[in-house]
Amino acid sequence: MRLTLRRRVTLSFTLGLLVVTGVLALSTWNLATGYLLRQREASATRQAELDARLATTSTALSDLLTGPDSAILVLGPRGTRSAGRPVDPALLPAALLDRPPGTARITVDGAPMLVVALPLPGEDVYVELFGLRHLHRTFTFLGLALAAATAGAALLGVALGGWASKRALRPLAELGSAAGRIAGGDLRARLPDQDDPDLAALAAKFNSTAQALEQRALRDARFASDVSHELRSPLTTMVNAGAVLRRRGEHLRGTAGTALELLTSEVDRFARMVVDLLEISRADQTDDPPPEEIALDALVRDVVAAREPVPLDLEPAVVLGDRRRLDRVLTNLLDNAERHAGGAVLVRVRTCGDRVRLSVEDAGPGVPEDLREEVFERFARGVMAGSRGDDTGSGLGLALVREHVHRLGGRVWVEGRSPVGARFVVEMVLRSSDG
Amino acid sequence: MCVRVLLVEDDERIRQALSLALSDEGFAVDEAGSGEVALRRLDAEPFDVVLVDLTLPGLDGLDVVRTLRARGDLPIIVVTARADARDMIAGLEAGADDYVTKPLMGDVLAARVRALLRRRGPGRDAVRVGDLEIRPQEGLVHRAGERVHLTRTEFRLLLELAGAGGRIVTREQLLHKVWGYDYFGDTRLLDVHIRRLRRKVEANPDHPQLVLTVRGSGYRIPS
Repeated sequence: MRLTLRRRVTLSFTLGLLVVTGVLALSTWNLATGYLLRQREASATRQAELDARLATTSTALSDLLTGPDSAILVLGPRGTRSAGRPVDPALLPAALLDRPPGTARITVDGAPMLVVALPLPGEDVYVELFGLRHLHRTFTFLGLALAAATAGAALLGVALGGWASKRALRPLAELGSAAGRIAGGDLRARLPDQDDPDLAALAAKFNSTAQALEQRALRDARFASDVSHELRSPLTTMVNAGAVLRRRGEHLRGTAGTALELLTSEVDRFARMVVDLLEISRADQTDDPPPEEIALDALVRDVVAAREPVPLDLEPAVVLGDRRRLDRVLTNLLDNAERHAGGAVLVRVRTCGDRVRLSVEDAGPGVPEDLREEVFERFARGVMAGSRGDDTGSGLGLALVREHVHRLGGRVWVEGRSPVGARFVVEMVLRSSDG
Repeated sequence: MCVRVLLVEDDERIRQALSLALSDEGFAVDEAGSGEVALRRLDAEPFDVVLVDLTLPGLDGLDVVRTLRARGDLPIIVVTARADARDMIAGLEAGADDYVTKPLMGDVLAARVRALLRRRGPGRDAVRVGDLEIRPQEGLVHRAGERVHLTRTEFRLLLELAGAGGRIVTREQLLHKVWGYDYFGDTRLLDVHIRRLRRKVEANPDHPQLVLTVRGSGYRIPS
């Protein structure tokens, strides 16, 4: 598994700090213990020299002992004299006894001891052993303290690394969220100005890219709008001239009549398409009036009242939005059902928790599962190729439904209906259900 | 009775095609290519309804509407090329009774004109609401004894509301009855007219006491 950038920064911080404090702790340990040992050796040697001189003047060895741990041995051809803690002479390093003076450290019965050997006049060797327990306790304490400091430094490294990486990566997080907003359709997302020269370049580039993208999207939308707009004038002439001709259609029979019928119906379709295109290019713009409370059940009743009768199943529900958009959504769904499925068979409004669902059901051929997203695309008419009748739509009806529903803060989908047909469902936030 | 329509439109082809289509619908159509020409003709001859394109060379369509509205209550339908809410609302605020957007069909336009010219229902008695007295027969409205000048559309809107006997009249019903809309679309047309009506019949249009908004459904005049 690859570590995230943040983890890696934190980890490097921790390791770096661990190595530095570890080296420092180790050298401190070496220097301090070496120094303390040398000090102890020097003082022990001085003490032993003094004691050795006293030992030659027939002072009792036991009087010379410095503590309960210490021991004194005088080894010589005439035998061994000893005092204090009993120590087996065989434990003493032979090299030391052969060539005094010298010092060595040994362990006697688990206790650390410092051995100082000094030559006495004659063949005798004076050996004094000093307990090192105190010194070793100090070493243990020092070791623990250094280990604790190293561990503390490592923890600090984690914290510091985490903080630093978070701080250093904040512009990246901002970049990520801005890019996410742009991907989500908000082309106005920008990065804030950065102080850091490295980041400033990145932010500037990102912002200029976003701006170019926004302008391009605006240009495209304006172009679609301009084209549709420019088409309006000639279309007005065409549809009206067509209507006049159609009225006199009975004078034109046969080929000319068919051609006239084709021409006028296509002009009508063209006009609808231009109107829908204008509507869809306007759907992105924000000239909505402030959202108002709309009684959804009443709206459905009113819209349906102006059309072929459809069975209704309505619960009282109030939603917040733009009435014009909601009208258009329902009208387009009913148009769609008429065009492709022989008309709607049921329009239902149902509340469900804090949501309300408006569904339009038909008993037509239904929408195959793999096309249920696609039908909401612009000009997705290939999808319905088999069911194109005489009265074909603009190919934008369901795309407009989706645009409007999005602007109303809801979502729309199509599902299968049993036994046959399709159910288009619009889900919106319920304002209240008291009608 | 032959309805005389004046069509004010600068694009000659559109003018001709619309003129043909409206003539087919049984109207007597006269054409004017500019606002100045239109105003001159309206001075000289009587018309029943005027169709005004908002984008005219010279005298702007909005100015034509404003001038005509200042003169009287001649029904005006605005024809807009842009479906922007701003244009449409500006046209209605200037005094238009209705609006249509291009590409418009002759038969739709004819239905709009007929709805606008529809006579008020016969035999209705005078209605009193608050300090308003509405006499449908004569088409007169008096407020505390003083004559209030309403356009024909404003009058019919008021009559629909006052005639409901205190009940709510939905936006859709109003659009249908006053403007003949059978496609329930833009209710901004209604919003602007309600605003205009309130300005004329309310003591304080910002705090209406007479024409009350019923949130979520429509309007009512308490009886």
